[in-house]
Amino acid sequence: MIQQVTEKIKQWCPQAEVETAGETVVSVPADKLEDVCRKLHDDTDEPMDYMRDLVGVDHGEGVLGVYYLLESTRTGGRVMLRAEAKGGEENPLLPSVCRIWKTAEIKEREAFDFFGIRFTGHPDMRRLFLREDWKGYPLRKDYDMDSNPLELTSEVNADVTEEFNLRPDGTLERRENVVFNPDDFVVNIGPQHPSTHGALRMRTSLEGETVKHIDPVLGYIHRGIEKMNESLTYPQTLAFTDRLDYLSAHQNRHALCMCIEQAAGIEVTERVQYIRTIMDELQRIASHLLFYSCLVMDMGALTPFFYGFREREMILDIFEETTGGRLIQNYNVIGGVQADIHPTFVQKVKEFTKHMREIIHEYHEIFTGSVIARNRLKQMGLLSREDAISLATTGGTGRASGWANDVRKHHPYALYDKVDFKEIVYTHGDSWDRYMVRMDEILESCAIIDQLIDNIPEGEFRVKVKPVLKLPEGVFTASVESSRGEFGVFLVSRGDKSPYRLHYRSTGLPLVHAMDTVCRGNKIADLIAIGGTLDFVIPDIDR
Amino acid sequence: MEQSFLDYYSLEPLTRWLHDALCGVMPEGWAVFLESLLLGVVILLAYAVLAVVLIYMERRVCGAFQCRIGPNRVGGKGGLLQVPADVLKILTKEIIRLKNSDHVLYELAPYLVILASVISFSCLPWNKGMEAIDMQVGIFFVLAASSIGIIGILLAGWSSNSKYTAIGAVRSGAMLVSYELSLGITVLTVVILSGTMSISGIVESQADGWNIFKGHIITLVAFVIYLISGNAEANRGPFDLAEAEQELTAGYHTEYSGMHFGFFYLAEYLNLFITSGIATTLFLGGWMPLHVAGLDGFNAAMDYIPGIVWFLGKTFFVVFLLMWIRWTYPRLRIDQVLNLEWKYLMPLSLLLMLVMAVLKVCGLVF
Amino acid sequence: MNSFTKYVKRYWRSTKSLWVGLRTSMKVFLRKKVTEEYPENRHTTLHIPERHRAMLEMVHEADNHHHCIACGLCQMACPNGTIRVVSEMKEDAEGKKKRVLVRYEYDLGSCVFCQLCVNACPHDAIRFTNEFENAVFEREKLHLVLNREGSTLAPPAEKKTNPVKA
Repeated sequence: MIQQVTEKIKQWCPQAEVETAGETVVSVPADKLEDVCRKLHDDTDEPMDYMRDLVGVDHGEGVLGVYYLLESTRTGGRVMLRAEAKGGEENPLLPSVCRIWKTAEIKEREAFDFFGIRFTGHPDMRRLFLREDWKGYPLRKDYDMDSNPLELTSEVNADVTEEFNLRPDGTLERRENVVFNPDDFVVNIGPQHPSTHGALRMRTSLEGETVKHIDPVLGYIHRGIEKMNESLTYPQTLAFTDRLDYLSAHQNRHALCMCIEQAAGIEVTERVQYIRTIMDELQRIASHLLFYSCLVMDMGALTPFFYGFREREMILDIFEETTGGRLIQNYNVIGGVQADIHPTFVQKVKEFTKHMREIIHEYHEIFTGSVIARNRLKQMGLLSREDAISLATTGGTGRASGWANDVRKHHPYALYDKVDFKEIVYTHGDSWDRYMVRMDEILESCAIIDQLIDNIPEGEFRVKVKPVLKLPEGVFTASVESSRGEFGVFLVSRGDKSPYRLHYRSTGLPLVHAMDTVCRGNKIADLIAIGGTLDFVIPDIDR
Repeated sequence: MEQSFLDYYSLEPLTRWLHDALCGVMPEGWAVFLESLLLGVVILLAYAVLAVVLIYMERRVCGAFQCRIGPNRVGGKGGLLQVPADVLKILTKEIIRLKNSDHVLYELAPYLVILASVISFSCLPWNKGMEAIDMQVGIFFVLAASSIGIIGILLAGWSSNSKYTAIGAVRSGAMLVSYELSLGITVLTVVILSGTMSISGIVESQADGWNIFKGHIITLVAFVIYLISGNAEANRGPFDLAEAEQELTAGYHTEYSGMHFGFFYLAEYLNLFITSGIATTLFLGGWMPLHVAGLDGFNAAMDYIPGIVWFLGKTFFVVFLLMWIRWTYPRLRIDQVLNLEWKYLMPLSLLLMLVMAVLKVCGLVF
Repeated sequence: MNSFTKYVKRYWRSTKSLWVGLRTSMKVFLRKKVTEEYPENRHTTLHIPERHRAMLEMVHEADNHHHCIACGLCQMACPNGTIRVVSEMKEDAEGKKKRVLVRYEYDLGSCVFCQLCVNACPHDAIRFTNEFENAVFEREKLHLVLNREGSTLAPPAEKKTNPVKA
């Protein structure tokens, strides 16, 4: 399948080169990039309409490149493009693809922030995570770590932003775009706000109670995990995955382990696959229960909040018994899992799924059925299927809009091709559907667990791995369905014991980016409810 | 109907004796002044004590609804001293002055809110002969006095010079003005039934049966409507849009600290009590004991219980109902709140009033 | 008329849904509470799983022997610089030079409990315990020395199995 795509690209652009170190990457020259992307997107047989990710990489010696990870929602086919910025280190330029995939809008800002690559034609070239007065681009290899001492002054957010366009003669034209007008009524939702679930800040302009525009300001808990990874050994990089989206700790770590195992050619045992799958699903239930809790709390119902926590506590107890951790479990390791399942694990998990099925009606009685909840969620915050794909809002949010995007179904990993489960898809794309997707997935996850829990085969829980692990040269990726969307790992290895570049596909970043589209025209109270149903976790966005 | 025991518990002789005694040693003007002073102190004391009780109750009840225990450490097993400890804490907190606020109005606002609440509070009929303020148009006065609070809320929101508070204040303004309507109309329904606007008169008229039983199903529905709009008036969930913690952090009192915030907090709980107290007065017979026609022994036994116990018991029952509602539902959105009032509650309460008037004219009520 | 019946129906349905909510919350109100009273239940119902990672500990045998050969693998495995192994070269009775542990420094405040040190240790000299009440008032108190006063390396015969690895 991948060959068809590469051949097509070669047809459109004969200069394209195919690299097969690790995974197949098609290298496209910068001036042909927009054209190739447009053609891939508009292809009739296999339209690459979903941009999974856009990753900047510093190749060294002044060469900055960007990887484009594309997928077709129709066939599930995937392709990876690579382009090198023109203009060297001083003024690296690449054409923007944000008119083709909306999600590139925010991803290109990230690449600009970390690598300083300017995307021509992008309407909003501001930094994304770092302060606007930050010096240098930290993910470049020659970045001086001491160039930005701790800044204690308040950051002033500009109300105008820059756009660069390439004139035919090769010079740059700079244009200013306005984010907020001086007479806009701009309210800061966050960074310290009860409903942003962490330190997220949304500059929101209001017209009365109606939302006109949302400008997310990110990076309040940016920890530079991707930069740190470049100086850590592979086992050490695992320590931080749990701290990205802490409600998908297992799944994140699963993805990274899978990626490294695949690159190093390590086979894990069947038993490990079972344990990992069950743990992933338990984690998903725990996360969805927390989603329920937070959503109802955002909507002012404080009692059902505790219902979700009541059951989540049981899962955390199961986790703690086996893994030794409740939120940060550190369970998956390269080649298996940290410890074998606890003797009581099987019985406790069975008890839990039974209990969950018996008690979930309380959730529905107190909240789902209530006329207040219905009125507040139905027909609110509409996101069409096209927008969902273009904005790459994976997970429950996309599935509520009718976009079947479950990685477990379409690119099965671990045991998901062996278990029988439904992919929950709703069609309206409103807050209500986003909520119902998650509530149904709780039961679906229970069903998956029930199919596996009695059949865990005997075997090793961890295979022996060399103490100093070196991966072969190349590009490797892996993706899993985390609790709130597709979590991806993108790894560039140069044969060392630490990664050359390790990037995570944040599940929450596209969701925050979608806030502006989804919330516009709704009331400020709905903004909170919509934020709740989109279900993002900030440490995962800021990384 | 025999009312010996009710008379026995009446405080009227005591107050009359006090008045006469005072008049004996000083001119009547001075005596009245002294009595008013005494009364004021008593009311403020009762106000403070009740606030503590209510906050404690809210915490325990809310805890129980939420599968948890609630305060259980400070002051022994039951956490009885938790609220007094919190009061002490809030008293020691710094009152912050905002640089760009309108200082006079900013500082006036909490006092207006608490003033409205104290005035309405003093109109409650605790027992026979224990109404502090008893006027011919008592219930009208309560409605009027309690609406002063909204000025305080609007002022607080506006003078803080913050966007969150401004939105909160505007919301509460829109909401209170609307709900005042169905509240007033349901009160009027009862006034029609009782034939008087005096609070003591309304209670007396229920000696032969509480209004909620007397008015067929109409007063029952009116009671529910009253609870809903009273809840909205008291700015409590699911109508707490003005504070809407998850949206506006704390709504109109975001910028207040220390005891200024404490006043808003106190007023909220006392407004809850006042709403329930008025509901008790209008629908549940005030301090009247429960009488069942035909069971004379039972009725006599009920009479032994003092009126104040009846009043407090019923009021706290209604308070519990309101807490039950608050800790069950999600918050409404502003347009839904207004829809509920203008499309559902208002027409229904108007209808109720009309039917009640017809019934009364035709003499079809008990 | 049609819209009026709809209006009435909606009235009724809404009221019913609200009543169901009230009923459920009352059911939970009357149920036994799920929270634990923590400091009070310390010695009764509190259950901390054995595998819970709360603090790193050096295994000491009865006669004050530990198993640390001061190889420094744990220090290298740590992603956070939490561990510092201070060792010195000593001559033993036979005149062979040997690395001996002096201080095993561990900063609880920066530990991420990733277990890489325990995994790396070739002699199972360290392990995680589930003693979780580690709150202190000063940050300095989190800098711990894990080897006990006067403890020495266990003689080779003694180190036989690992009682530790779960």
